Amino acid sequence: MSILPFSGIIIKLCRAYTNSQEDFEDYFQEVCLQIWRSKESFREESSWSTWVYRISLNVCLTLLKKDKKSIGHFASDTLVAADTEDTFVFSDESLNHLYEAIKQLSEIDRAVITLYLEEKSYQEIGDIIGTNPNNIGVRIKRIKSRLKIILDGKIY
Amino acid sequence: MEKSIENTWKEGFLKSDALVAPKINNLYNQKSIHITAKFERMAKINLVAIVVFAVIFLLVTTYNGLLVLGISWFLILSGLVIVNYRSLKGLNKVNNHTNSYEYLVSFNDWLQNQLSMNRKMARLYYPLLFLTIIIGFWLFDAEGIPLGERLVGEVLYGFPDTYMLNGIPLLAIIFMAVIVGVLFLFGGKIYMLDVSIIYGRIFKKLDDLLADIEELKE
Repeated sequence: MSILPFSGIIIKLCRAYTNSQEDFEDYFQEVCLQIWRSKESFREESSWSTWVYRISLNVCLTLLKKDKKSIGHFASDTLVAADTEDTFVFSDESLNHLYEAIKQLSEIDRAVITLYLEEKSYQEIGDIIGTNPNNIGVRIKRIKSRLKIILDGKIY
Repeated sequence: MEKSIENTWKEGFLKSDALVAPKINNLYNQKSIHITAKFERMAKINLVAIVVFAVIFLLVTTYNGLLVLGISWFLILSGLVIVNYRSLKGLNKVNNHTNSYEYLVSFNDWLQNQLSMNRKMARLYYPLLFLTIIIGFWLFDAEGIPLGERLVGEVLYGFPDTYMLNGIPLLAIIFMAVIVGVLFLFGGKIYMLDVSIIYGRIFKKLDDLLADIEELKE
């Protein structure tokens, strides 16, 4: 049971929740650590990949919550504002625009669209985020419409 | 020309090098710390549990007139706890290395020493615990007479030709000697079985992690 085949999506998920290379590395590392720690609790009730993505998502959301708390705690600190700016840049311009738009979505919607773009089935997306797969199709349509508005014609 | 979200995603990642996983050196540090900290925590809980058990056992046996058994077990278990507590303190010296691999190797060495010491001790204290049960019950006051003597009396009444050695039936001595011998021979294995039930998962994680880092180094 290795996470190597899924590292691509883990990287993409972590990127969707972080704004700097440093944060991304922290998130990626924590995801790997948590998968390793809880490997024994994998009960084969779902596929290994679903389980890996679910842990990745949970870790990202937990870390994001922690980060938000610490930002709230030091709200008056000017350093925090700089820290929340997106300092990571992909070599592809369109991908940068797309990621900027994705980061404006709600936390769960970011995961849904990332998994959708990675061609995961509605069933698997539903399993990962813990929701009814029947609603995923509608949700994705809504997310794509919102992305189009945010992107304002840069990508259709 | 405008592109779809799906195409942007696919092509963007094909073009960029954004899918290179970050270096995960620190991951091994964290894993190492996690394993050793977990082991230390479990070992301390284990020692506390032995102390609590020894005290409760002493109280229960004293209350029930098995003072010798209670005191013997209390002393043996206390000795065991003291030796292991001191040894656990030595774990702090392990934390003095430059990287996680060296740290884990020293931890593993320390652990193997610890296990070897306890295996040797187990060959002594398992027979001792058994003998103290026998002696404890032998001396138990059964209506004014020690239970052992009373039982011997009963045996002699039923089998008057029983061969005795120092007032104890020879068969009983042989039986006890066999059990003591078995406990002496297999004490180490019994201890390892006991340890693997409690710490088996951690040991496996440690082996996996060491193998992982060694593979990575190669």
